[in-house]
Amino acid sequence: MQINLIQAIILGICACLSSMPGLGGTTFGNYTLGRPLVAGLIVGLVLGDMKTGIIVGAAIQVIYIALVTPGGTVSADVRAISYIGIPLAICAIKGMGIDPASKQATDMAATLGAAVGTLGTVLFYGTATVNLVWQHMGWKALEDGDFKKLYLVDMGLPWLSHFLCSFLPTVVITMAGSSMVDLMKVYLPMDGIAMKTLFTVGSLLPAVGVAILLKQVITKATDFLTFFFGFTLAACMGVNLIGAALIGGFFAVINYKIQMLKVRPAVAGAVSYDDDEEDI
Amino acid sequence: MKKLSKKTLNKSFLSWFYGNLTCFSQEHMQTFGYLCAMLPVVQELYDTKEEQKEALKTYSAFFNTEPQIGTLVVGITAGLEEAKANGEGIDGETINGIRAGLMGPLAGIGDSLIVGTLIPILLGIALGLSGGGSPLGAIFYIVVWNALMFFGMKFAYSKGYEMGGKAVELLVGEQAQAIRDSIIMVGTMVIGAVAASWISISTSFEIPGIITLQSTLDQIYPKLLSAVTVIFCWWLMTKKKISPTMVMLILVIIAFVGVLLGFFDPGLSY
Repeated sequence: MQINLIQAIILGICACLSSMPGLGGTTFGNYTLGRPLVAGLIVGLVLGDMKTGIIVGAAIQVIYIALVTPGGTVSADVRAISYIGIPLAICAIKGMGIDPASKQATDMAATLGAAVGTLGTVLFYGTATVNLVWQHMGWKALEDGDFKKLYLVDMGLPWLSHFLCSFLPTVVITMAGSSMVDLMKVYLPMDGIAMKTLFTVGSLLPAVGVAILLKQVITKATDFLTFFFGFTLAACMGVNLIGAALIGGFFAVINYKIQMLKVRPAVAGAVSYDDDEEDI
Repeated sequence: MKKLSKKTLNKSFLSWFYGNLTCFSQEHMQTFGYLCAMLPVVQELYDTKEEQKEALKTYSAFFNTEPQIGTLVVGITAGLEEAKANGEGIDGETINGIRAGLMGPLAGIGDSLIVGTLIPILLGIALGLSGGGSPLGAIFYIVVWNALMFFGMKFAYSKGYEMGGKAVELLVGEQAQAIRDSIIMVGTMVIGAVAASWISISTSFEIPGIITLQSTLDQIYPKLLSAVTVIFCWWLMTKKKISPTMVMLILVIIAFVGVLLGFFDPGLSY
């Protein structure tokens, strides 16, 4: 399967919009277009196979379900994962003739996505570094009282950073990558150790994503019980994710009421204060 | 008595909503996004260029927080700047103190509540809707997430503007704490279900006639290997302080050794 220039250009533009710090803005760029599940839909549509795109995107999404970037340090780059990793994974799956619905396909996608995402951090630091030039111009504009220029610095000039660090890498790598699949097929036979390892890694990787998230939310040992409550619902009782969210919501309401019982005596009489906060 | 118009506030909000991180660098992360958001406010409140320049100096200081929840701070400073222009005994230093004091705590709340909980819940549900390559999950996420954030951030901005420093109570008061704990609880449960539904680690180890390890494990607790792997990764990261990238490399080694020993076999063929 080949990726042509027009397809590569569309992917390149998406990469500019979706990165952190991306030109689609934080909410719609990074946290929407940059999420592998959404990117899976877009890349799938661009490459003409939506179904495979979404399967691949979902598989990679699990690894990066909580990609927090505290203080601007990143362990993986969303534009690389989503708009380089996903197209390459689709090409690999199609090129090798793997059934997109099989476990092998998701394992393959996970490994490729994680590898590309990790290497892609260089793009993040590249963009941030080029932006320093524009910021320098911004300080000067501020000094001169040329305020209009601030918009140009904040929203216009970073396009140049992204042309260098998002657009070009995406176009070049996705176009070159699709022909690399054939090479892989020749040099790495499916029943060899290398391929077996690659696919096994793919099945292990989602555990890292979940663990990153747990690191955030688990503060005491009993929090693990909450996690395993959800795990057991799905693993032993076959509850699906929407069901689990509803059950979780039910317990959250109970938890909220219990906690408020502890708080209420202290704030009794501050009724208006409570009403204000109902809107959250 | 100067009063900011609705139009100006709206422009300020939209500048922040879109531009909070567009010109990010390691040196000044969200500073330029902040300057752009305050520009319309400052231009309306002060008439001369010199005054405007002076006022913008306050916002030239480093700023970085979780930008979505950080909208509250932008709203608060818009309100304070208005008070300052009206000569209510507030100076740039006070504003900057409040701004700098809020960004740390809000980053913590935003990272754990929005990025670490709300997004995983929405994505968890979206993954559930994506079975068999259905686009429904992605569409669900795009619509719900963007609607929640746009209106949520707009709400935060106007609350910040109206209530000033008191708006922080919305996030750190006892009731807010109870709400936060409860939301995190849902998030933890959903992520448990995501782990069970989307991680499938199985072993091919068997001694013919004596034991097929996978089916024995399934009898103990379904998906036991997935659960153990998650806890192992969590332990490496939390207790051993190993970075996620290193943990991934460790998994590569484990996979390699496992394949050699016949513990893992993805069962591949062309």
